[in-house]
Amino acid sequence: MSISRRLLLKTSAAGGALAAFAGGFSDTGRKLVKGAWAGDKPDHAISGNAPAPEFRVDPATGDLTPTPGQIVANVACLGCTTLCGVRVRVDVEKNKVLRVAGNPYSPLSTDPFLPYGTPIRESFKSLSRLDEKGLKGRSTACGRGNAALEMLTSPFRVATPMKRVGPRGSGQWEPIPFDRLVEEIAEGGDLFGEGPVPGLRALRDLKTPIDPAAPELGPKVNQVALLSSVNDGREPFVRRFFNQALGTINFVGHGSYCGGAYRSGSGAVFGDAKKMPHAKPDLQNAEFVLFIGTAPSNAGNPFKRQAMLLAKGRTDGVLNYVVVDPVLTNADNRAAAERSNWIPIRPGTDGALVMGMMRWMFENGRIDSNYLSQPNGKAAEAAGEAGWCNATHLVIQQAGHPRDGRMLRASDLGWVTLDEKERYGAKDAFVVLDPSGTPVAHDALMGPAALFHGGTVAAPAGEVAVKTSLTLLREQAMRLDLAGYADACGIPADVIAGLAREFTSHGKKAAANTHGGMMAGNGFYNAFGVVTLNTLIGNLNWKGGTIFGGGRFPDEQDGPRYRLASFPGQVKPSGTAISRPVPYEKSSEFKARKEAGKPYPAKAPWYPNAPQLTTEYLTSGVVDGYPYPLKALFLWNSNPVYGIPGVRAQVEAKLRDPKALPLIVAIDPFINESTAFADYIVPDTVLYETWGWASPWAGVPTKTSTARWPVVTPRTEPLPDGRHVQMETFLIALAKRLGLPGFGPDAIADMDGNTHPLERPEDWYLRGGANIAWLGKQPVPDATDEDIALSGVARVLPALQSVLKEEEWRKVAFILARGGRYQNQAEGFEGDRATHRFKDGLLVYNEAVGAAKSSVTGKRWTGTAAWTPPAFADGTPMRQVHTAEDWPFQLISSKSVLVSAYTIAASRLRHLHPENPVGINAEDARRLGIATGDRIRIATPGGSELATAIVRHGVMPGVLAVEHGFGHKEFGARPHVIGGRSQPVVPEIGAGVNINDLGLRDPTRPGASVWVDPIAGTAVRQGLPAKLERVAAAA
Amino acid sequence: MDRSRRNFCLGAGAATIGAATAAAVPAAAAPGAASLRRDGDPAHRWAMVVDMGKCVGCQACTVACIMENDVPENSFRTIVSTYEVTEQGKAGSYMLPRLCNHCEKPPCIPVCPTGATFQRRDGIVVVDNTVCVGCAYCVQACPYDARFINHETQTADKCTFCVHRVEAGLLPACVETCVGGARVFGDLNDPDSAVSTLVREGNPKVLKPEQGTQPRVFYLGLDPRFQGKVDGTQTLWRPSAQPHAQKEHA
Repeated sequence: MSISRRLLLKTSAAGGALAAFAGGFSDTGRKLVKGAWAGDKPDHAISGNAPAPEFRVDPATGDLTPTPGQIVANVACLGCTTLCGVRVRVDVEKNKVLRVAGNPYSPLSTDPFLPYGTPIRESFKSLSRLDEKGLKGRSTACGRGNAALEMLTSPFRVATPMKRVGPRGSGQWEPIPFDRLVEEIAEGGDLFGEGPVPGLRALRDLKTPIDPAAPELGPKVNQVALLSSVNDGREPFVRRFFNQALGTINFVGHGSYCGGAYRSGSGAVFGDAKKMPHAKPDLQNAEFVLFIGTAPSNAGNPFKRQAMLLAKGRTDGVLNYVVVDPVLTNADNRAAAERSNWIPIRPGTDGALVMGMMRWMFENGRIDSNYLSQPNGKAAEAAGEAGWCNATHLVIQQAGHPRDGRMLRASDLGWVTLDEKERYGAKDAFVVLDPSGTPVAHDALMGPAALFHGGTVAAPAGEVAVKTSLTLLREQAMRLDLAGYADACGIPADVIAGLAREFTSHGKKAAANTHGGMMAGNGFYNAFGVVTLNTLIGNLNWKGGTIFGGGRFPDEQDGPRYRLASFPGQVKPSGTAISRPVPYEKSSEFKARKEAGKPYPAKAPWYPNAPQLTTEYLTSGVVDGYPYPLKALFLWNSNPVYGIPGVRAQVEAKLRDPKALPLIVAIDPFINESTAFADYIVPDTVLYETWGWASPWAGVPTKTSTARWPVVTPRTEPLPDGRHVQMETFLIALAKRLGLPGFGPDAIADMDGNTHPLERPEDWYLRGGANIAWLGKQPVPDATDEDIALSGVARVLPALQSVLKEEEWRKVAFILARGGRYQNQAEGFEGDRATHRFKDGLLVYNEAVGAAKSSVTGKRWTGTAAWTPPAFADGTPMRQVHTAEDWPFQLISSKSVLVSAYTIAASRLRHLHPENPVGINAEDARRLGIATGDRIRIATPGGSELATAIVRHGVMPGVLAVEHGFGHKEFGARPHVIGGRSQPVVPEIGAGVNINDLGLRDPTRPGASVWVDPIAGTAVRQGLPAKLERVAAAA
Repeated sequence: MDRSRRNFCLGAGAATIGAATAAAVPAAAAPGAASLRRDGDPAHRWAMVVDMGKCVGCQACTVACIMENDVPENSFRTIVSTYEVTEQGKAGSYMLPRLCNHCEKPPCIPVCPTGATFQRRDGIVVVDNTVCVGCAYCVQACPYDARFINHETQTADKCTFCVHRVEAGLLPACVETCVGGARVFGDLNDPDSAVSTLVREGNPKVLKPEQGTQPRVFYLGLDPRFQGKVDGTQTLWRPSAQPHAQKEHA
């Protein structure tokens, strides 16, 4: 293989520089004759069009001089889901954001970050050359964060409410007045000349069951669903409307098609399948970190914080790390030499690697027995541990026993008698064996219990066969030898052993972590395994181990200043969500099928060990109407058609059909691949136009809440009263029209029982800010006049003073000025332990998983981490259906350094990185005669797409690596016609390929489906079977 | 491995990465060059040190520069060239942040027919766009491909070390937003500055030392093994048509 000289020139990263180098000289004579200014004249002879700096800091005296006409404000970025605290420089007169950098108070952008009490003036100085402070305290925005401001002024923004005038998805729209928009959505009618459409007033039926034969599905209001994306700091407001005021149970985020498999696997260890807690490596203090299916300085969450700590750790610090992934990314850096390593792995085989590591650890005595053997938190603390787990707890292992697979409980042994409600609950202790082998309650033993045991214990009804949780895990680990695991995952046995040795050579200062690489057909167990590695070395809550994170200062709770969580007349949503996140065995369907003699399979899978899952909403809810059909779908900044692998092919026809789904309303600043099918688009605000209270996903040891507040005037349509069209004003107007509780005058109560209005966005967010201000040991200080002036908060002072009480507004101003509330960095650890610790026991064996049955096969799941190949819903291995002979390659998805799912219209990013060529291993390419730049056709059982090839050594053989964020069909890739005017034509926005257009359906399921992990219900985009052919040479 | 491949991995055109140590950096300019310098404060000698092991290839510098300086579309005053390299069968990532080297002996200056390109007394090489006629001799003379013709102004364009920010007591845009903390900026004339310390103690290298340009952008961890021994694929790929670039060729 060789790369042609021509391609070499074309592909140079020097870009414009090289182009200039290569040409332009023939014009010299002409230009010399013509003189200067063949082109536009810039503002300044040396600095061109660079605006005046935001302020000046005298390097000698430290005097600060603000620049008139500019403000520097601390808010949040929304270029990706990390939601970093950033400082935004605004030209006030032009209502234009000039540049974005980091907020020096924010741990997501800065290390070390400023003490919270630092005056704004000092924070500016901390960024300057004064004593080289700006080098030590630099606060950054990433490449994407620097470019995201383009979204504010994008020609593809929707600024006015729109109603479709052609068929669904035809791209023809007319602006609609705001009042009319609200009226049509509330009241319904023959809105499109296609027949009657039910409005929300008719759909808000809180009494009539959807199906009288299945009352557990809940009332008809559940036929309204809202799909969200990420909590951008405003989700509690949207929940207030849909869950608490309207009353539907169907409100679901993007996790099931993002990194939900990791979260579910982690939830299995942390014992919460709904909130799915997770910990992150303490990169600041770790000595060795194993990243599996995640790329810490390439992308991920929190991107910048991980990247800056990784960069520091591998150079100035003590960090060594290994990234195990099918594709090499910027998580590696050869200049850091042996500190950073990449190991390629076959897609969807991470479970084989980690179970192999566990086998080696068990066989070589490299598990942390002191930690694992403590049966409860108190014993663990006495033993010098920072946490505990259920490794020693006994699990019933007796075929035919009614509680086979459940934890043995005190009540099983007749030690306690509890009523039905409390039995097997928190008051019903687990059972362990004390050092003499005698069964005791887990909370009664103040020392180590037996780690391994398989035998019987005497119960009132006879002997019961039991094993400890750790015994069950060891059995799973011992199922294959290292050669067998190596054969499965493609990592040599000695490397598996070496990783295990390294991982267990640093005490508590080692950690394993994962994320998006888990989105495979066995992602739940792969992730369960990765997180269990941490359990086996007992690193949770330790400095240098894994840390749970400090959490946030919640705004939307009841108090300490305002009741934002509850209001008179609020609805408690009831019933079953579309994605069936409850046991199938409790459904009327199960009872009916059982009576008919064949309880399994259910019509489609149920997911008792998962949260609500968007992966089922469009297929089940819209196409199949299972367990009931949706009648109105709201998409709030949500794009499932782009994001869920395989969903477009399954649902597009039905999304186009108003009879299948009568009403689709989008609330979004852009027209994306999903909102293109909407009946109405309500423009939302973006980025720095918006209020909100965001928080980190994880990985920050200290409590952190990031403020969003409008530093520019929204570019959406203004309303007569000065408000703008956006999510909040739309939902407030809709609620008021429908007479829903919780909105309008007197909607918000303070702690003294006085009521206040919810008429404007700031009515909600500023009162949330007051709650944040009063949390903690003492309220935050008052902002000084100088803080308010320098931070740009003066801009929103009228709102602060009109909404908040006299004693409140300066405190909220203090928070806004600093872009949030941040616990001081020094408070992250107490000695060598994290301040914010996860207190409950971790689960080596999870009985909720181990006792649950597949609703398709009726078979029980494994309750510990395990290696199991990717499979479909009925347990059929994927490779049995789509064989390696027919589909010799596997597709994987990797995150982009620069492009996220919704930033493709940012031209500055596109020019830097215009396409996502698909990575193919050099040996595979040689065999197939494919060269870098060639056009290739990738086919899967779910579709076929043209792509450009890039030949790489950094891709596992047999793998095709697709970077996420490209292959758009909307966002400007096709111009829509709005009010007779066409959007600009920028076909470059559609460049590249979207792996999700190649996703699979589940061939073992009847009806519409996408392939998901059978327990987590999460989308599969890692390890899609594929074949490819070369179509044409490089252009 | 063929030669074009080798060049490919190392960046544009005939670029090679020098491994010579930039020992004995003269703090002050040579007398002959200094006499042609104007503007700026000769008390300073601005410079940058790039700690390669800290670069995460995120392009924050690239985009911050564009936003700060209103760089024309499809042009770059700085960029991080990102490569996949293979050594002894093992693949790895390699990032090389590139920008104007603000050389002590800038080859772009003697070729400028109008005097538009000049060096300030603080070492920053700049272009006076009111004097530049866009002949692009300097673009051709720069061994680092750091210059280009701005297709909006039709004058030579390049990194200024964000001189307007430096004079305001601030840091260049690329430095203040460097996520990995790889870019360090400061005054070589101040022996206590971070750049002076790193140049003194960090055994830095420069690009193309054989050209005799004496760059004042230094690299820590620029491994000599990367000179000619690596097999690289550019992973930040630019395959699509570039309208402005084509215009330059026309």
